[in-house]
Amino acid sequence: MAGNRTILSMYLKPKPAILPVMQLTFGEKLNSNKFIVTAEITPPKGVDTSAAISDAQILKGKVDALNVTDNQRAVMRMSPLALGKLLLDEGHEVIMQMTCRDRNRLAIQSDILGASALGIQNICFMSGDHTTNGDHPGAKPVYDLDSIQLISMIQKMKTGFDFSGNELEGAPELVVGAVSNTDPSQPMQMMKLEKKVRMGAQFIQTQAVYDIGQFEKFAEFTNHFDVPIIAGVIPLRSANAARFMNQNIPGVNVEEELITRMDNADDPVLEGLIICAETISMLKKTCRGVHLMPIGQHLNTPKLLEMAGLSVR
Amino acid sequence: MIISSAKPFEEILLSLDRYDDIFVIGCNVCAAKLHLGGEPEVLDMCECLRNAGKNVVGWILPTAACSVQSWESLVEKNPAIEDARAILVMGCGSGTSVVASVVDVPVYSSNDTTSLGGLSNDVVLHDQCAMCGKCIIADFGGVCPTTQCAKGLLNGPCGGSMNGRCEVDRETDCAWELIYKRLKIIGRLDLLDELHEPKEH
Repeated sequence: MAGNRTILSMYLKPKPAILPVMQLTFGEKLNSNKFIVTAEITPPKGVDTSAAISDAQILKGKVDALNVTDNQRAVMRMSPLALGKLLLDEGHEVIMQMTCRDRNRLAIQSDILGASALGIQNICFMSGDHTTNGDHPGAKPVYDLDSIQLISMIQKMKTGFDFSGNELEGAPELVVGAVSNTDPSQPMQMMKLEKKVRMGAQFIQTQAVYDIGQFEKFAEFTNHFDVPIIAGVIPLRSANAARFMNQNIPGVNVEEELITRMDNADDPVLEGLIICAETISMLKKTCRGVHLMPIGQHLNTPKLLEMAGLSVR
Repeated sequence: MIISSAKPFEEILLSLDRYDDIFVIGCNVCAAKLHLGGEPEVLDMCECLRNAGKNVVGWILPTAACSVQSWESLVEKNPAIEDARAILVMGCGSGTSVVASVVDVPVYSSNDTTSLGGLSNDVVLHDQCAMCGKCIIADFGGVCPTTQCAKGLLNGPCGGSMNGRCEVDRETDCAWELIYKRLKIIGRLDLLDELHEPKEH
């Protein structure tokens, strides 16, 4: 039996855990003049990862990195660390999202060490939607550290020490990002963003952008930060979805003109993609990349990238 | 002051199911101010318990349930307590706990205690202080983010704040909106630049 296994192993190619040598990493691309494309992958609610992995497969070679969400909207799902590792094994570059909601400083640090040891190179921190808005509303919300304190902690970990100052056996090497909304008329949101940059955030991914005028003002505001801004986009699927987002998603402002276009469209899904491609074209002039967060799967994402002239990575 | 709310009487009655001889202890501080444990409420509770078939052996109204000295001091106030098989405290959780520490019978609370708050102009103010043990409220214009921000964030609002309202309850002001307004009024918006370290628990 042992002999058979040895022979068999000769024919089994190990899955690539490391990206091809010549390809720039996401972190290296941040420091280049390349327009960056990232996309969101949601872990399954259950142990069947096939849908998430096939969703990622659609994006292979078309995006620079995949954000793996962390119990998004406080709905319990598989750990982004676990799905992130599976996506690495499939040859994707991963940005592991991590919220402050579910873990205290011990758990966060141990997950950061685990992520780094498993080969995850990028991490994106955020407060996280409150537990009361999710599917376990009675869960204890943790928020032991806020996102600013979290970024500060990881900077310390990168120098080889944990939160308490104990020496680490090997420091994590991670590109650290954070999130922001893009309404420059909200002074407290902008103050928080400024703090994230001060603490050393290396990239910022934003809430979905529809209002280019507002985003241009935001870009002006962030000009002096010297941090790459990756603008979030969500293709609209219907006029009603746009109205829903305006009313329920903080920081999202779909202009009336776009809602009218969606209302009048024969094929609203296609119109949504056209609008999104137009938005991306305009964003190319004002920021360093786009972050694709379609509702549901990425089936239309390759088409969207083609329409936006971003299909070749 | 400690903010509490009254449990439904049916729930209180159910919790006392095993006991007939009940002694009631009110509290003449926070619970009295909130009309949950002052003399009128204690007398009312005694009557309701009697109507429900209980034998109310007696009652007292100490200055503060959380400051009772000893079993002897309770007996001195009303010796009938010696006949009690259970005690109902009409104070906060702290008062109930302190009473329980000096007696040898089961102790129940008629109230649910929710926060450290206030009562101003007849309006109950919930969640004014988290009693964290290291007060930094002055840095936030007198609005405590540990208590009033649903996530206890010390360095600014989360992304869930919408039109100045909290993600958890759109009827409630975002604590950071209040902090911003207060700091603006007192001319100390510069305090927003400070980086606050995590709390030590």
